[in-house]
Amino acid sequence: MAGSGVWAFAQPFSIQVIGLHALTGFIFIAVIGLHIANNFVPLRKYLKNRVVWLVAVLTGCLGALFYLQPSPIKAILGLSGNLGPALERFEMTEKGMKYDYVPSPSYKLSLDIRTGSSYSLENPPRLAVWLENQSFFHIKTLYASESEDTQEILPYWAFKVKGWEQAKEEAEKKGVDLNETVDAVSGATENGSFDPADYILPRETNSSMPYRVMIEINQPGDPTEKLKDQPSLVYQVEVDNYDPRTFQLLELVGYPVKEKNEEGEEEWAIYYVDERFDSAMSLVDSALLRIDRSQK
Amino acid sequence: MKDNKSSMAGRRNFLQSGMFGAAGVGLAVSASSSVVMAENDKATIKREVTNEVDVLVVGGGTAGVIAAIQAGRAGAKTLLVERNFQLGGATTTGGVAFPGLFDAWGKQVIAGIGWELVKESVELDGGKFPNFAKVPRSHWMNQVHVNQFVYALLAEEKCREAEVEVAYYEFPEAVVKTDAGWQVDCIGFGTRRQVKCKQIIDCTGGAEVVGLLGFERLREEERQPGSYLFQLGGSHNPASKQLHRLYVHGADSTNSRTATLANLTGRKSILAKVRKDKKRLMHLQPETGFRESYRIKGETLITVQDYTSGKLFDDAVSYAFYPVDLHTKTGVRPKPLKKGIVPSIPLGALVPKGSRNLLVAGRCVSSDRLANSGLRVQASCMGMGQAAAVAAILAAQGNTTPSAVPLAEIHGLLKKHGAIIPGKA
Repeated sequence: MAGSGVWAFAQPFSIQVIGLHALTGFIFIAVIGLHIANNFVPLRKYLKNRVVWLVAVLTGCLGALFYLQPSPIKAILGLSGNLGPALERFEMTEKGMKYDYVPSPSYKLSLDIRTGSSYSLENPPRLAVWLENQSFFHIKTLYASESEDTQEILPYWAFKVKGWEQAKEEAEKKGVDLNETVDAVSGATENGSFDPADYILPRETNSSMPYRVMIEINQPGDPTEKLKDQPSLVYQVEVDNYDPRTFQLLELVGYPVKEKNEEGEEEWAIYYVDERFDSAMSLVDSALLRIDRSQK
Repeated sequence: MKDNKSSMAGRRNFLQSGMFGAAGVGLAVSASSSVVMAENDKATIKREVTNEVDVLVVGGGTAGVIAAIQAGRAGAKTLLVERNFQLGGATTTGGVAFPGLFDAWGKQVIAGIGWELVKESVELDGGKFPNFAKVPRSHWMNQVHVNQFVYALLAEEKCREAEVEVAYYEFPEAVVKTDAGWQVDCIGFGTRRQVKCKQIIDCTGGAEVVGLLGFERLREEERQPGSYLFQLGGSHNPASKQLHRLYVHGADSTNSRTATLANLTGRKSILAKVRKDKKRLMHLQPETGFRESYRIKGETLITVQDYTSGKLFDDAVSYAFYPVDLHTKTGVRPKPLKKGIVPSIPLGALVPKGSRNLLVAGRCVSSDRLANSGLRVQASCMGMGQAAAVAAILAAQGNTTPSAVPLAEIHGLLKKHGAIIPGKA
């Protein structure tokens, strides 16, 4: 258990190591169970010892710390090849934001967002980074600002997440796979897959399977002469492992507007940015996506 | 140039209402309670016909209609020869009734007569326009859906108003250079037409006139598939519901035999589908929509690098906008242009290399195959048609060849007729 744990810490994510670690974990629990059953009476006596309780509380606190991951703990976990238990790391520096996502040793995704002149470290804008499939459905949020108003300030991302959750709910109700539901709705082909692994951990790259990396950023309370508050801005880049590129810049797409579609349903559409925008355009100087792909 | 009084005679071979006073052979047509009569006279049953015009436009498809209207409006005596039975080409006969793209990155980049025709078609049909300020999720979302039938009728009306003579069911079989320009022998059923003209605009799609004259043309080993459009089950709702589409692999509009083969193949497959699906066939286009045959080798060749980098040519006369869109046996994966890129079309790409008094417009524009896969779409072809016509009529007026017309004059006249000039938008 200890050996596989250290191995999982040092070695970048590998399903074999994690599988082994899980197995040893189950064996460990079983052994503990047997140990308690065989030594129930002496163990009860141990509980009268204050040191035992102190150790239990200390273990609980450490467990909570490593679960919640405040900055110092994150730094320790950052030393791991796994970038922490979630395989991802988000760092904020004076120059900008860096987001690393390493779902596999052979697929390292890094998003480097350089802040622009109107970015304030004291009052940072809300930011969300997510993946969309070719049918324009949200498939995974990589990062979203931890703030109560994030959904309100980043309406396009919130709309996309909501659509995804609704689709999941509908699929659950129908008792079908989510991909089947989407295929029925959008007529999507294989690009309608909802499994992020189909894009970022493709089983094969002989056919085109594009996906998008999206960013929505918004600085609340930033009026201009023509706008009471500049809306959020959306950036995107399309990635296709069939046509692999290591470096790709995200491009400004536009700003979201709530409107009704032909069926009378409310949706958020993206409009081209016009001359009414100013400081919002300089929240982001550049957003560079880097994907290092290597053969296992 | 055009003598209005004389030009009116003999150029109204359209079906017009209220023409009961016409002498000679008349064709009465009844539809519901309406009765119309084609205006004919003794001259119309003669086999031999001659025309002397400033501009001959060959092919009444996407580019040809616009070229003819532009030439007519600018005062040139214009004849439009079309091998089929209606105007509009891919938009009408092919059924690809969603021309695009007129906009790029939130701005309109192609306007002029093509846009006027599309706009009026949509308005007359009570249709909707895409919102060009809105970022389309895919390029096709900004294509403008038109009613193909309304479009064809309006195209005829605009030709009539511009005093363009339309000759259906005809095509050129021989072209000879003359001191004044060209002599073109056209043939149709029951008609042999000799046309003397100063300028020719070849809008045949496959540069057939250029081929007749022996100028170099480019052709690939394999053609992109054509599309045969039809509606199986459910009613055909023009401009609002997409038709079903069948890929016709190997579809080639090079000549009557290849076009026949494509149509027979497409229709046979559709019939098999009708039998298999056991649904009613509600609509069938008259022919396959062709994507590729010949392209010219022009004074300038637009490469895919030129296209995808948005090169602004020194002699640019029109914009184009569409992804690189090469259809293959396995389908199509459009490659969108990078943000802010708007390709341009130079006059040199409309001039067959080494030619004088001859222009092309439409999908046979001088370009490599990948560039052509983006250039071949309707809005871009409309822009080319208008630009070619302006260059041709200015050349006809100045007794020179289109390449020798000062670019400022071409831009000036294009602007006067509502076109958007590259680099000056």
